[in-house]
Amino acid sequence: MGIPGHTDDHRWSQQHLSHYVEGDLRRRARRRLDRHARDCVDCGRGIRAMHALVYAVQGLDGLAGVRAPASIFDRVRLAGGSESLSPRGA
Amino acid sequence: MTPPSRGKRDPEVAAADSPATGSPARAPATRSPASSPATGPPATEAGLVARAQAGDVSAFEQLSSAYADRLFMLLLRLLGDRAEAEDVAQEVMLRAWQGIARFQGRSSYFTWLYRIAVNEANRALDKRARRPAGVAIRDQELQLPGSPADDPSRQAEVSELRVALGRALAGLPPALRTAIVLRDVEGLSTQEAAEIAGVSQAAFKSRLHQARLRVRAAVGDEALVTAGG
Repeated sequence: MGIPGHTDDHRWSQQHLSHYVEGDLRRRARRRLDRHARDCVDCGRGIRAMHALVYAVQGLDGLAGVRAPASIFDRVRLAGGSESLSPRGA
Repeated sequence: MTPPSRGKRDPEVAAADSPATGSPARAPATRSPASSPATGPPATEAGLVARAQAGDVSAFEQLSSAYADRLFMLLLRLLGDRAEAEDVAQEVMLRAWQGIARFQGRSSYFTWLYRIAVNEANRALDKRARRPAGVAIRDQELQLPGSPADDPSRQAEVSELRVALGRALAGLPPALRTAIVLRDVEGLSTQEAAEIAGVSQAAFKSRLHQARLRVRAAVGDEALVTAGG
């Protein structure tokens, strides 16, 4: 419907938004997506959404300050008692 | 000890399948914050590896404790369950201790340890999937902290986005979740993240892009653009 090749460009662009924001597209491919997104509201918004997604996920730092449990080496200590001179595989 | 390349970005993948190179001396931070027992000079990471390989448990603990908090956070993100993350963290350390003699320094110690963690997390997730009544991932383990934004409505949008992102990440297949957590949440370079995931950089990128597309579809552009903008 409408512009020849538009549907192909649209589907292709939607599949490559992450590559686009990651900088993984070659120059020609990037130009293709840029050209399509200029006229496509969905893809223009898709680019903004993908940027926002990466930014938001990078900010998923709600666990900052979480400490490893004191028990983290318990099994090593148990094993170390019997293997202190020879870890398995030595 | 400085965590390796948190936040590092490499916009272009030059050699997608280049093998890991390096030596223990090339480890991300070769100086340990701790000193050798009684002798004074700070122990290097390579020195601690050598002592651990000789069977010195305390050297192994000193070596690994520099990464313990971050490793535990990774497990929490991958598993979404604190009790399970604690159990798997102990198992990771045990596996690392048992395998330290085979560590040859082709990657950094951090990468090697993280790779064990990802493998153990995947093993735990496989076990969970085989359980008749699987334990649901607790979304809150994957969420962000509160935002200091002043505007309450904006705060609410950001908070909703965090919840939605947490759910979307928790709903990803393990391989895709691992990719997005290592690259986007942990901020590792593609090379490091691919090495930890045990796949080529090209395969890792493919997983990452798939993961992002799925998260985007699950969260929706509207929520992302509104809260992100």
